Parts: sequence; C-alpha cells; structure tokens
Amino acid sequence: MCRSYSLRTLLCAMILLVAIGGVSAQTKLPRINFRERTLANGMRVLSVIDKSSPTVAINVWYHVGSKDDPDQRSGFAHLFEHIMFKSTKNMKDEMMDRLTEDVGGNNNAFTQDDVTVYYEVVPSNYLETLLWAEADRLSGLTVNEASFHSERDVVEEEFRTSVLAPPYGKFFYLLDQKSFNVHPYKRPTIGSIEDLESATLENVQKFHETYYRPDNATLLVVGDFDPKRLDVWVDKYFGSIPKRNLPLPRVQTKEPPRTGEKRFVEYGKNVPLPAVGLTYLTPSEKSDDAAALTMTDIILSRGRSSRLYQALVYQQQIAQSTNANADLREDSGLFELTAILAAGKKPEDAEASLKAEVKKLQDAPVSEAELEKAKNQIITSQLRQRETNLGKAQALGGAAVLRGDPNRVNTDLERLQAVSAADVQRVAKKYLTDENRYVIYYLPESARSSSGSENRSQPGDQMKGARQ
Amino acid sequence: MATIMKTKSLVVIAFLLALASHAAGQTPQATPPPPAATRSVQFPKPVETTLPNGFRVIVVQRSQMPLVSAQVLIKSGGEVDPAELFGTADMTASLLTRGTTTRSATQIAEAIEALGGSIGSGAGWDFSTVTTSVMSSRIDPAFAILADVIRNSTFKDEEVERLRRQSLNNLRVALGTPGSIARFAAARVVFRDAPYGHPLSGTPESVPRIKREEIVRLHDMYYRPDNAILVIGGDITPKDGFALAQKYFGDWAKPSTPLPNVTVGTPVSESSNRRVLVIDKPDAGQTVVLLARTGISRMHPDYFRGIVANSILSGYSGRLNWEIRVKRGLSYGAGSSFDMRRWSGAFTASVQTNNETGAEVASLTLAEVSGLATRDLSDTELTTRKASLLGGFARGMETIGGLVAQVSSLALYGVNLDEINRYVSNVQSVKAEDVKNFAATHLGADNSSLIIVGDAKKFLPALQKEFPQVEVIPVAELDLNNASLRRQTSRN
Repeated sequence: MCRSYSLRTLLCAMILLVAIGGVSAQTKLPRINFRERTLANGMRVLSVIDKSSPTVAINVWYHVGSKDDPDQRSGFAHLFEHIMFKSTKNMKDEMMDRLTEDVGGNNNAFTQDDVTVYYEVVPSNYLETLLWAEADRLSGLTVNEASFHSERDVVEEEFRTSVLAPPYGKFFYLLDQKSFNVHPYKRPTIGSIEDLESATLENVQKFHETYYRPDNATLLVVGDFDPKRLDVWVDKYFGSIPKRNLPLPRVQTKEPPRTGEKRFVEYGKNVPLPAVGLTYLTPSEKSDDAAALTMTDIILSRGRSSRLYQALVYQQQIAQSTNANADLREDSGLFELTAILAAGKKPEDAEASLKAEVKKLQDAPVSEAELEKAKNQIITSQLRQRETNLGKAQALGGAAVLRGDPNRVNTDLERLQAVSAADVQRVAKKYLTDENRYVIYYLPESARSSSGSENRSQPGDQMKGARQ
Repeated sequence: MATIMKTKSLVVIAFLLALASHAAGQTPQATPPPPAATRSVQFPKPVETTLPNGFRVIVVQRSQMPLVSAQVLIKSGGEVDPAELFGTADMTASLLTRGTTTRSATQIAEAIEALGGSIGSGAGWDFSTVTTSVMSSRIDPAFAILADVIRNSTFKDEEVERLRRQSLNNLRVALGTPGSIARFAAARVVFRDAPYGHPLSGTPESVPRIKREEIVRLHDMYYRPDNAILVIGGDITPKDGFALAQKYFGDWAKPSTPLPNVTVGTPVSESSNRRVLVIDKPDAGQTVVLLARTGISRMHPDYFRGIVANSILSGYSGRLNWEIRVKRGLSYGAGSSFDMRRWSGAFTASVQTNNETGAEVASLTLAEVSGLATRDLSDTELTTRKASLLGGFARGMETIGGLVAQVSSLALYGVNLDEINRYVSNVQSVKAEDVKNFAATHLGADNSSLIIVGDAKKFLPALQKEFPQVEVIPVAELDLNNASLRRQTSRN
C-alpha cells in the first residue's frame, strides 16, 4: 500500500494498522432482522420491517431456473417468466404494471440458472394489493395464443439485444456452453431462437403446474408494514392456494470432474478486439470452499489495484479489460478468468498472463493487506446493496433459496472474513489446475484460417468437433 | 452466470393515486383490494456554504447506512475541448486518478481500495467529476485522496500514453457496437460542428493528436475552486462535511485570472437540418433506431412540461414501449429522454429491433413522438405517467449515490436546492394542454432526425418508401469528426 519512503510512511503505517486491526470493530454490517413463517401449503414467508421510507419491496422467489428448462426448450424458464406478466384468472395482460408503475411503483423479474425472481417496489399502502396479485399469478395463468406469440417475439429481441448486438454477447454465451459437458448449466438462460420458436402454450401450462406451486415459492416482504396485517393478508391470499401433491422434479445430473484441458476457438461476426476466457469447474455455492473462491475473485480483479488489472491492463498493457468471476451456482460452478485484448496483442499472450497470475496464487499466499482490502470491499458493497428495501430482500432471498438458510444473510460475511491467505492458496491449488481448465478464444471472422477444423458454432448449436 | 431480466426501463416511488375498485358484488378475491391511506414522503434537505476561495460545498445527510459518497464537480466538460482535439476534457479528468505529486496511479488505487472504497473520474457535457464512495468510518483518508487527485495531478507522459492507448481500444469496441455508433452519429446530426457535436471521449483521429500540454492547459484553466462544487452525501453531519472541505480544500488557491467564458451556441432547429441517415453495418446483430432532435436547456422555463411530456412517451408503459414492445413484440424496450444541459441538449428516442423490422420501428417511433402534440391525452394517462415519473424521481434518491447525483445536477445548473421538495408539486401542476403545446413546439416531425444503424439490405427498401430522402453511409466510411459524417473519399 505505501511504497514511497518519506514522512508519509508513518501515516501509511498507521492507516494500515487501523485497517488490519480495526475493520470489524469500526464498521459493522447492520443485521437483517427477519421473521420466518411456513404456511400449511409449504410456502415460506420471510419479512423484514424497515420504516425509513414509506415503501415496501415484495419478492417471490420460485426455486426453478434455466437448468430446469425442458428438453429442447432452452430459454423456456425465462420465456415463462415473461408470460407471468400476462393474463391470469383475475388479471388481464399487463395488470401488474397497472398495480405498480401506474401508482408510482415498479416491477420486474429475472431468471437465473437456479431460480426465478419476481419483484415489485410500491408505496407501502399498496402492499395488500400486490400480495393479492402475486397470489393470483401463482394460482394460474390464462394467457392466449396472441399474447404468447407477441411476448415470445419480445424474448427473441432480448436474445438479439443481449447476445447478437453487443460485440461480446456471444463470447459470454459460449463460455457457459463450452464449460459444462453434461449438466444443463451448459444451456444459457436466454436459450436459442430455435428452441424458443418450438415452445407452445401447452408447455407454459405444464411448466406452471410443475414448478409454480406454494411449496416451491418463497415470499419476501421488506419495508414499511404492520406484521399482524401482513400475516392476515398472507393467510387470506396465499393460504388458500392448495398444496400440490405431485413430486417436484429436480435436476439430478452431476457435472463430472474434468479430465484434461480443452481448447476452443470460436468466431464472431462483430469482434472489434479478440477475447480470451479460462474457466475452471468448481463446487457449488454451498461448499466450504465457496468463501475462499469468492475472496480469490475479489483479490484478483476488484478495483484497479487488483492483481489482474495491475498485471494485464496497467503493467503489460495486454488487455483493454480483464475480470475474475467466482460464478458459484446451486449444483456446481465456474471460476472464470476473462480478458478483452488490447489492439495488436495476441490471445496466446493474454492466456499466458492469466495463467501466470494463477500460478502466483498457487506458489505464494496472498498478502494480509490484500485480504484486508478484500474484506473492506465486501463490507462496502454489502452496505450498498442494503441501502434499499429491494436490496435487503434480494440479499435475504439468495441466502434462503440458494444457500438454504435465510440467516446466512447475516453469517455469510463472517465466513468471508474468516478466509485466510492459506485458504486462498489452497483453493487456487485445488481448483485452478491445468487439468481443470478450459480455454476459449473468441476471434473475428477475419481471423479464421482457410484450413482445418475450427468450429463454426452459432449460439444454440451443440458443440461440433472441438479441438483437444 | 447470466441474469436475464424482463426489464422495464424506468423505476419508481409515489404517493397520490387511489386505484379505482370494481363495483361491489364481485367476490373479494376476484378484484384487487384497494390501497390503504397514502403515506407522505420527505426528501432530504441539502445544506451549503461557500469557502473564501469560491469553492461551493453542499452536504446532504442521511445516516441510515454507514456510507458516504463525495463528488467534486468542475463546471466544465467536453464542450471546452479545443478544436480538433475532441476528448481532451475526458482525458484530463481520467488522468486525475493516475498520478499526483505524492502518489502513483497504482498507489492511488491501493490507497482508496484498501479502505474498501472506490474513486472514479471522467468528463461529461458541462462538467467533469471525481467521485469517491466509502464507509463513513473511512471518510477522512478518502477525502485526502479526493483532494490530492483534484489538486495535485501530474499528468505524467507515461500515463498520458497509457490512457491514450486504452481510449483508442475503448473506441474500437464502441465503434463495433451499433448503439454507440448511433449515439455518436446522432450528436453530429443534432449539433453539427457545435461543441456538443463530437464524441465525448474523442475519435480515432483526434485522440492521437492530444498532447500533454493541451491536457495541462485545460486543467490549469478550468480546475479551480471557483469553478467547482463539492457535494457530500450520506452518514455525515453538515458540520463534519464542511470541516473536511475546509481541511482539504480551504487552501486551494483561487487564480487571480477571471474564469474563462465559454459559450456553446444554440443549434438552430431548421427543417433543413433534418436527416434520415442509415449507417450500414452488415454484421450488426440487430438494428438500432434513434430519433434525435434539439431539446431544451436545463434552465428552460418549460423544464417540467418537458419531463412530463417525456414521461408520456418513455417508460415501460409509455407510448413508445407500449406500441413497439407490448403491442407488437418488436423490441426488448423503447424509451426516450431529454438531455437538458447548460445550452440546449438533445431529445432522443431509442429502440433496438431485428434488422428486418428496422423500417417499421423507425416509422412507429416518429409517429409516436410527433403524435404527442395532437393525440388525445386523457386524465388517466397523464395521472399514471406522472406517478411513474414521480416514483422514478424518489427511487433515484434511495441510495446515497443517487442522492448525491441529484443534488449535484441541481447545483451544477444553479437550480435552488429546495427544488427537491417542490418537485412533486411542479410535476403535478403540468396540464394535458401544457404537454401538447410543449410537444407542438419541441417535438415536431419536421425537425426530428432518424439515425438507423444496422444491416441496411434488410430494411432499406421499406425505409425508402416512407423516407425517399434517406442517406446511406457504410460504417467503414463513417467519420465522426465532422457534421457530414462521411469520410471524404480520395479523388481517383
């Protein structure tokens, strides 16, 4: 932190001491005090009172995601999420907007591999109204063909907006596709145009019956409300939804350990600068190694003093940008290292630099200063997330649904703060190995050589003839 | 892992509407229960002082979370770029965090990040900023770094060259992105060769020409306490905020020279300036349609009429998104905004769509924007769109970062800071007639240009039917350095 020797050294030393000795003492992450109930039909309800603003954030987390997309229906869970805003028994199309946006609130939803989340933030006097609305769409959809087709068109435009239009949309799409051999995580959440075109209304109804049921749902309410009234409304609107007696399908597939490096060279129509990705298979976010992998991610790439930025962007000037990402999911995960190259630089050189940074992590423990910095960075970002009711709700939802314990919203920070330099070195040696590495180069079409066996994959294709 | 959203564009809070309920007689569960009584909202009140050296300091306290955000604004940005040296102001601002008299670029990053904080800098139009954000227990050392980078930057040659290369790389990516290309071109169409017309970060031709001396000159001219504002928001009292300002900026000397006088000029809205421009990019995965025209300045007396008019068009349930996405499924989202600056900025409506439907979306966009002046605007539509606008305003200030941004924007344009608490009533007082009159003056079709970037062969024939005057520029011939937008070809 302080390299110049001068009068400032003393000041620097003091700051360092304060940083090492005083972090947890100086700024504590405020606890999220939640209350938990489970209804007779299996639905879980978590609530947090916060009267600092006259608003309330409502979340419904359904424990289904793109890994549950039916066969040959990649992108379906996400398409379905869009359809949940269309007509239900008691709401016409777009009624959620009438109940939120029109009264000064907002609503949205997102789909990930493991979960689908619907949320709204409204003036707190609309809480009962929105509970009624969420219960109504949990109960059933009545969407017609015209609305279904129109919304599917929107999703296909979303595909184009996020994958085809931006220069590196396809690169990130390919990282998932190439990194999993067997597990459905290999099908990106956005799916493919082809599979979206095959989806039908019958699929929609079947998906709702299968996964949208109270025992697969967690309701979160955070903000300005009266807990007794909340309980009355929850019982009234959600309590009457019948328990579903069918078994709930869960993905059983396990991604097998990797047995050696794989290399892919992919091409895109619009690639202004080449990109390189290295991915390593990791265990799930519930693993005991998850905290150390998260700290490794932060030390490697958060901020401009981070290792990857300093090495690849600042010193070597080999990358326009670079990132490390511990993408740990429910069943397994990926540790990703990516770089978008600077002009005139070769993918081989960026790959070598990234591998050199991995080797440094394995050969020597990170410094105490780096660990302390990462811990401070985590506290700051968690404080920022919890500034809003919605942020608190999402933090709590992730803990409850993805990590199986709502109280992890309060204890996860301790797990991160307990990570030692030895832990980081250990997980680097255990997971960031040569045998566990897949390498993807993403190049412009103009770089394609005239000979040989390069891939011509398009998003949605199965992998054909990959080079080993 | 990808998180894919349904995403609506705008976000919200408000206070004033009761939802009409259905007639009695239906089962309670079949209709939405009506809302309870409205709760009132208070917005924070900024407190300010000006130091003897002219440095204006504003503190807005909110102590729910132990976070502070502090932003220094210099009241000059890309509009002061010297001729042909587009990008100088942005480079100057970016270089602030890349070396001072006592800290190297790496040391600055290490110092702020060790605290768990962040610092960033850059130029906009009318302003340049340095912003730091940190836990409130660390505010003093963060302030030391903030003041250091503003007052003591060294602009070393090595860092200038490093930034130049990075900037050119960033431009390469931007010029491969249809949305960015469209926005750069739209600025030229609206502002032509006036100072707001060039890309803020420069062009591939201008960036290599910017010498260190130009950067230092711009810094000396504009980075002075009497051309600067400090806004501090979050878990800090006004007393402590003012004390920090005094400690770290109190002795920042005010130059004896007068402030430089900058005028940008108002772009002239003549229909002869109106263009329908296609930039042909055959590898585009989607077509971007932009409608762009002169808007109004931040201090224009019709400011509130303008933002209410925009709220009819923009937002998830605004007319653009409703017609293009919700009814027709032609896009993931359509929206619009006024960029109101010290002088007239631009009004822009923007949509991305499949290449094949580029022409249809262009027509729809133009029809909705120009139709605002004449189509019926009911009480219900006006009320609900205002609620959406007010909600977005309040939600934008839920975070300390958002609060500081709002206060900074008011301070930059010399707007009374009390306006935060008059915003609701100002919006509510705009009537339907006001919106339509505003639209007739400021959003007519005659002066609205269209800029379309995509695979032209897929939409050009349909587009030419409605707009026979369409110009086509292949992307390889695009020149952002001048208003024609076309590279001058060599004579063969």
